[in-house]
Amino acid sequence: MTLPKGFGSGGGGATSADVEKMIGRRVENMTGIITLSYIAAWLATFGGTAAGYFYYPWAYPTPSGHYAFIVLTIVEAIGYLFSVKVCEEGTKKKSNGILAATLGGTAVGTILISLFVGV
Amino acid sequence: MAQMPALIPKEVEIQRLKKIWLIVIAMGSTAASVEVDNFVDGSLHQTSIRDSAFTPAHWWLYSHFVALPLGWGAVAIYDRRVPILRGPNNSMNTGLKMTILGYLATMFTIGVNEMWHFWFVEEIFAVPNHWMFNMGVVVAFMGALAYVVRVYARLVELGAETPGENPYVAEMYKMALEGKLYSRSIP
Repeated sequence: MTLPKGFGSGGGGATSADVEKMIGRRVENMTGIITLSYIAAWLATFGGTAAGYFYYPWAYPTPSGHYAFIVLTIVEAIGYLFSVKVCEEGTKKKSNGILAATLGGTAVGTILISLFVGV
Repeated sequence: MAQMPALIPKEVEIQRLKKIWLIVIAMGSTAASVEVDNFVDGSLHQTSIRDSAFTPAHWWLYSHFVALPLGWGAVAIYDRRVPILRGPNNSMNTGLKMTILGYLATMFTIGVNEMWHFWFVEEIFAVPNHWMFNMGVVVAFMGALAYVVRVYARLVELGAETPGENPYVAEMYKMALEGKLYSRSIP
């Protein structure tokens, strides 16, 4: 097998150390960063819609902002679920607890924000 | 599609394809959120009257026309590590080229759009300043679909993704991989 420059021991095949070096951080170990990204995206979405209805209510009334926030949360949640499931398929890792806690938390947060935050 | 010889170890290729998959899912979420938001919630786009050329309700929409060319550019940089995804003459993958060109067109159209709306405030989908948005997005979608399907087909080839369990769907995947998908539907 032809390996990139700097890999292998010259003439031999790829060792497992070479393979590890070429892979870097494995996708199945990225659940933490994916979860943080999802939460950051959700908070940014809240910030965006809140900026709309607090500062530009003539262009973006509160019910519109809440509606958009709910739809966006659903879209982001589907993306988050897909990312974690694709990364962990075929491995022994299971992050269903983290998934349930994060998705449940953002769902409850979305409902509370839609009920109590706005102008 | 014939089984291609591996130029990098299988495990490395699967991990790299999945990292591309992750970037695509992130961009898909961004695009879907922006587009669903704008087309489902009428108050954001169609029915809001512009009080200036640069109405706040459009910032969210515009941001993804900047984020997507940059995101697909990131895919193009990472894509070079997967030999199977190279295009003709070792150039960039054709689907990826189309995607980047399409979204670049939409990015530059933001300026055209703002200039047009300086004089005309209507937000009807078919007005000329929106033409390049629409055409750019369609070109980008065609390219992205081709690219994503290629990545998925390679993951199936490598055994990292399992085609549908329905025997008819599995048969279609098998025929597609052998390049014989059309022989049934087009006799």
